[in-house]
Amino acid sequence: MQNLLTCLISLWVVTSIAQNKQILYGFEEVPQSLLLNPGSKVKQDIHFGIPFFSQIHLNIGSSGISAYDIFGKSDVDITTRIRNKIFELKNTDFFTVTQQLEIINFGWRNRKEVYFSGGIYQEFDFITYYPRDLAILAWEGNRDYLDYEFDLGEISATGDLMTVYHFGVNKQFGKKLTLGIRAKLYSSILSFRSTNNSGSFVTRLGDENSENIYEHTVQNANLTVETSGYASLRDSNGGGVASEILGRAFFGGNIGVGVDIGGTYDITRNLSVSASILDFGAIFHSNDVETYHATGTYTLDGIELLFPPLSAGEETFPYYDDLVDEIERELPIDTLTTSYSQLRPLKINAGLKYSFGKLLGNSGVCDCLNPGGSDDLSQAVGLQFYSIYRPKGPQMAGTFFYYRRIAEFLSAKATYTVDPYSNSNVGLGLATDIGRFNFYIAADNLLRYGNLAKAKSVSLQLGFNIKIDRQ
Amino acid sequence: MKKNLTYPFLGVFILLFLGACVKDTDFNNLDEIQLTPVVELDLIYFNLSAQDFFDENTSNPILTVRDTTAIRFLDDSQIQESLKRADFYFRFTNFIPREFIADFQFLSESNDTTYTTQTLVTQGSPQAPVVTEFEQVVEGDDVLLLTQASKVVVSVTIPSSDATLEGDLNLKSKTTYYLEL
Repeated sequence: MQNLLTCLISLWVVTSIAQNKQILYGFEEVPQSLLLNPGSKVKQDIHFGIPFFSQIHLNIGSSGISAYDIFGKSDVDITTRIRNKIFELKNTDFFTVTQQLEIINFGWRNRKEVYFSGGIYQEFDFITYYPRDLAILAWEGNRDYLDYEFDLGEISATGDLMTVYHFGVNKQFGKKLTLGIRAKLYSSILSFRSTNNSGSFVTRLGDENSENIYEHTVQNANLTVETSGYASLRDSNGGGVASEILGRAFFGGNIGVGVDIGGTYDITRNLSVSASILDFGAIFHSNDVETYHATGTYTLDGIELLFPPLSAGEETFPYYDDLVDEIERELPIDTLTTSYSQLRPLKINAGLKYSFGKLLGNSGVCDCLNPGGSDDLSQAVGLQFYSIYRPKGPQMAGTFFYYRRIAEFLSAKATYTVDPYSNSNVGLGLATDIGRFNFYIAADNLLRYGNLAKAKSVSLQLGFNIKIDRQ
Repeated sequence: MKKNLTYPFLGVFILLFLGACVKDTDFNNLDEIQLTPVVELDLIYFNLSAQDFFDENTSNPILTVRDTTAIRFLDDSQIQESLKRADFYFRFTNFIPREFIADFQFLSESNDTTYTTQTLVTQGSPQAPVVTEFEQVVEGDDVLLLTQASKVVVSVTIPSSDATLEGDLNLKSKTTYYLEL
C-alpha cells in the first residue's frame, strides 16, 4: 500500500503534453483511434466497447521537474532542492492532469460502407502554468526583492470536468482517400479559467517625502477568474452534490458543441498521410456562472494615526477597518454572472506512414482489385505531429514510430517522442484481437519505468472492446 | 518466428509494467520542507504637531497624546503558528525642541496587555530635525505574547509644553516578519 501511495505521489511530477496519445493515433487495430482521427481507416465492421472499460486514460505531469528532483536521495536537504527548483523553473512550465473515462463506445459499417461511431466519455482536464514570481514571493518573501515587480500576469490556469457525447461518420472515397467527421456535444459539469491576467506587485523603499518606510504597490491589476458550476456547489454546503453533478453530466449544466474532422490519404501503395483537427468548438457557460474580476492600482503605506482629541469613553477612528475598506474600494473584486464562451483546447494531429514488409491477409498476395490503394503490410515506420492549444500558446510534440503486426492476434507500435520538455520519451502500445475480444494498452516514457520518480512524463491508456468482422 | 518475437515482446512490456517502481527516493522528508519567507511590511506612521501637545481652549499642556489601531492580522491563527521573529523598526524625525517618550502597548481583544516596548526620542528643532531610530527584535516566547495582540496603543509623552512650542514629530515604522510555514 505504501509503495502504491509512493507511486501515486510520484506521478504528480511527471511531464508531458497531456492528451497526446501518440501511440493510439493511427493504431488502426484499436477502435478508439477513431477518436484521434475520425478519418482513419477502420478495419472492423462493428465494434462496441465494454462500458466503462473501453478507454481509460490518465496523464499527470509537470514540465521541468520530476519527483526525483525533489524527493531523490541526496546530500542536499529537501528545502534547498525545492528552492533551487523554484528559481530554475520558468513561467512557461506547467502542471497538468488529464483523465478520460469512456462510458460507451460503439460503431458499425452500413451497406454503403459508411462507418458510424459514437459514444460518451467523461473528461477532466486541468492545466496551470508555473507562477514563478508568486512562488518566489511565497517562498522568499519580499525583503530581498525591493523594487522587483512580481508579475501577477503569470497566473494562468484552466480546469474542466465534463461529459462528451459524440457521433461520427467515416467513409472511404475511392481507393486512396478516407474522410471522417465527428460531432460533439459537451455537457460541462464544472469549469474554471483564469487567463490573460496582468498587473504587478512591488515593494519600494520610500524617500523622505513618502508617507512611510515602504510603498507596497499593486500596479494595474487586472485579474479574472471565470467559473461555472461552482457557485451552486459552494452554496449547497455538501448536500446533494452527487446528484447535482450527475444531473449536469446529462445536459443539466452548460452545453457546448464541437467537431472533429480528419482524413487519410494513400499517396502510394506504401506511403500515406493523415491529419485531424479535434475539439474545434466551444462551451457556452450561462448557468451557474460566477466571474470574479479584480482591477486597480493601490499603494499601501501602513496605518496613519491621527491622534484625535477624544472625550472620556470616546473611541478613535477605526483605522484598520477604514484601511480594509480603502483597499476593497481601490482594488475591487466584482462578482459577475454574465455568460461567457470558452473555446475548447484545439488539438491537431498529423502523420506520415511508410508501410513495408509482408502482405497481410489470408492469401498473402496482392489485392489486385485495389489498385492505387495502400497495401495492408506487416510493418510501418512514420512520423507524427501533435499540437494542443493552451492558454499561453500551442504545445507541440513530434513522434517517430515503428508499427509491426507481430502475429495474427497481436500488433504493436513503438514510439519515440520529442517535445520541448523531453527528448527521451519511448512508448509502446499493444493491441490483441483474440476472437472478437480486443484489448489494448499503451504507455509512454517506458525508459523511466525502472524508476518512475525520474520520469517527467507518464501517460497510460488501456481498454477492452468487442470487434466483429462480417466476413 | 512469430512466437519467438511475440513472447519476448510481451514479456518485456509486462516486465516494464510490473517492474515499474519508485526508488532512491524518500517521501518521508516531506515533513522537513520549510518555507521561511521574510516579509517587510509598513506598520504605522504619524505626523504630530507641537500644537497637539497644548490645549488652546484651556491653555493647559497635554503631556501625553494617545491613539489606538487594530492590527487584526497579528492574532490570526496562521500567523500565530508561523511567526518566529518580528523586528520592529521605528524612525522618528523630531522638529520639536523636546524629548519624547514613545510607548507601544500591544493589547489582546479583551484589552489585556500582551507586549510593550518603549523608546526615547531625541530632542530636535524646527531648523535642525533629529532622527531617532529604534529597533526592537521580538523572538522566542515574546513572539507568542505578541501574536496574542489584535491592537496597539501608541502613546507619545512630552515632558513639558506651551503655546509657543513649534515643530512636528514624524514617525515612520515597519516590521520584518520572519515566518516558518
